[in-house]
Amino acid sequence: MCVGLPAKVLTMKDGMAVVDAYGAKREISAELVDDLEPGDYVMVHAGIAIAKITDEDEDE
Amino acid sequence: MEENKKEMTDLELIQSYDGPPVRIMEVCGTHTHEIFKLGVRQILPEQVTLISGPGCPVCVTPVDFIDKAMYLALEKGVTVCTFGDLIRVPGTKGSLADARAKGGKVQMVYSPMDACDYAAEHPEEEVVFLSVGFETTTPASCLAAKKAMDQGLKNFSLLVANKTMPAAYQALKDSVDVYLYPGHVNAIMGTDVCEKLAEEGVSGVVTGFSAKQLLRAFATILREFPKGKPFFANCYQSVVKKNGSPGARRIMEEWMEDCDTQWRGLGVIPHSGLRLKEKYQAFDAEIKYQVPKMEGRINPACRCGEVLQGKCLPTDCKVFGTACNPQHPIGACMVSGEGACSAYYQYSLTK
Amino acid sequence: MEKTVTLAHGAGGKQTNELIDQVFKAHFANPELTSDDAAVLPVEAGKIAFTTDGFIVSPQEFPGGNIGKLSICGTVNDLSCMGAKPKYLSCAFVIEEGYSMEKLEKIAAAMEETAAKAGVKIVAGDTKVAGRGQVDGVFITTTGIGVIQEGAQTSGFLAKPGDAIIVSGDVGRHGCTILLAREDFGIEAEVTSDCAPLWECVEAMFDVTKDIHVIRDATRGGVGTVLYEIAEQSQVGIRLMQDQIPVQDAVKGVCGMLGLEPLYLACEGRLVIFAPKEKAEGIVEALRKLEPSKDAAIIGEVTEEMPGRVVVTTPIGAQTLLPPPGGELLPRIC
Repeated sequence: MCVGLPAKVLTMKDGMAVVDAYGAKREISAELVDDLEPGDYVMVHAGIAIAKITDEDEDE
Repeated sequence: MEENKKEMTDLELIQSYDGPPVRIMEVCGTHTHEIFKLGVRQILPEQVTLISGPGCPVCVTPVDFIDKAMYLALEKGVTVCTFGDLIRVPGTKGSLADARAKGGKVQMVYSPMDACDYAAEHPEEEVVFLSVGFETTTPASCLAAKKAMDQGLKNFSLLVANKTMPAAYQALKDSVDVYLYPGHVNAIMGTDVCEKLAEEGVSGVVTGFSAKQLLRAFATILREFPKGKPFFANCYQSVVKKNGSPGARRIMEEWMEDCDTQWRGLGVIPHSGLRLKEKYQAFDAEIKYQVPKMEGRINPACRCGEVLQGKCLPTDCKVFGTACNPQHPIGACMVSGEGACSAYYQYSLTK
Repeated sequence: MEKTVTLAHGAGGKQTNELIDQVFKAHFANPELTSDDAAVLPVEAGKIAFTTDGFIVSPQEFPGGNIGKLSICGTVNDLSCMGAKPKYLSCAFVIEEGYSMEKLEKIAAAMEETAAKAGVKIVAGDTKVAGRGQVDGVFITTTGIGVIQEGAQTSGFLAKPGDAIIVSGDVGRHGCTILLAREDFGIEAEVTSDCAPLWECVEAMFDVTKDIHVIRDATRGGVGTVLYEIAEQSQVGIRLMQDQIPVQDAVKGVCGMLGLEPLYLACEGRLVIFAPKEKAEGIVEALRKLEPSKDAAIIGEVTEEMPGRVVVTTPIGAQTLLPPPGGELLPRIC
């Protein structure tokens, strides 16, 4: 029900992040996820970061 | 034996399943879509029945919601901003695509935030965002409304039909043995609801959307199910934390409150909907534009309701693939690429 | 003040002539370009191919080209797909009152350059000016004549079981470029249109073999639509290998964000070729030597089973249908 796309955080400013997915860049809201830094990966849905992606799944 | 199974790949484990029949409901429309796109059904053993559940917001959005959006666009001259998904959904008298053809202003957006920006850039227009979706999408709508409030925008509001999953899990639990939970809803809500359901005897696995994640989830289900004990497993730990996203829940709780709501095809499910709190009524398009009550009418031949409950397959419906197809959908399940009927129509090799 | 096109430019008088002389003739000049009512052309032996196409695109200028380049490529490529060497074009413009003269000039310059590249001459033209709001900027219609090469016979009805299916480059770039250029979704990516004239590619293939059953250029419906058309026309099944279909990363990213399928995004410089399996490697090798087709790849094969269907082998080794083409592309978010 919710198309999500993993993307890399490039820059952070005032609760907004510019993210990159395979070279497609977009500004999204990063207000709802704490402690994001450039270099982190986030799950993006409808223009907001809904979660930070950690590397806890095996072989993902 | 147990040792051997660990050596097997998830795919091998799934294909060698020799346990009892099991009904699995993939709740989420994006799971439905990916499962078809990958051809997962073909590799599942015959004891497994996959039911496509109600987690496609477009599919369960009632007809009168579309009618109200059409009313806003055509009668009130409002600019309706919407996700692309809703454009072709049939209302009682046509879809938003028809409203656009008649001169109504219908603007597709990627994010509710974009709708808010559009309102800021077009102060001469009245802008309404069609707020549909589950717990994953609702925070974005709330953020957009908050942004509008912070900027003092008077021309932005939401037509709200947001829904929540827990009551639906309860309502549908007798039709299934194991839920495949919607990973991105869990990313917001965490896993408490699922763990509690497992304690009540309803098993489930939460997972992501890649081939590996889906195979891992099915392998987990088929390994655990024959043991006969209710279980819950999180196969999407990189994204889904036990506590979900507190920030997202906070903004939803601030802006929205629980209500009973109509699900297209399923009827009213108590406590399964959201509406804007009274203090934020200024952002409620229904109140702002005094939208009259509407009686949406569904084509009586359509069996989407039964499809959503797993009571019949899309192919059992008389209009499936004939009068009802993705270009001319009758039922909501045919409209969205995520709808069960659309997925059957578009991907099935056997029709 | 910026010079613009006015209704007087379309009235048929002095200003019309000025527009034609300064913009169009300046770029299209060649011995055959007519000042009379019709161009007079020599007749060659054999068969000609004859086609026409209308072009509307918003915005009119985009990374990798503009509507002028597009209007030449589209018609030249349609001729090329029939095995016809493009020879002559006519072009008709409908221009919106108030359109920038400078932009029009750029469009004409792109047409000149592209026509030269394609080895085709513009021999007749027409200009009309429509009132503001009656057209969106400029619409162009081009009509073309080409000479079918001896021994060439290609048609959407000729695909045969056992044929290999080749695509001449990565898919979906033009559609993705336009989507981004419209700035509707706030997404940025470095994608340029694949828009290119492709006769040189067809010629290079014919140098390898004339035994090619189908050549079709994937335009607005993308490669997916072409595959379904041919499966239907030839009453054959098509089997695609998903991991062999070339897609640029940035196109994947944009499609991922918007829930779109790259196979259904428009291309303006991509051929889909059906040829006997044993010829396929040679064809791909020849194509890869040319710039517009340097990423050519074999993406699938023709089967007897399931006529009319396009079946995809997925990464988990299962089979699924490529969703049939359907109407307006709508981004899917929830």
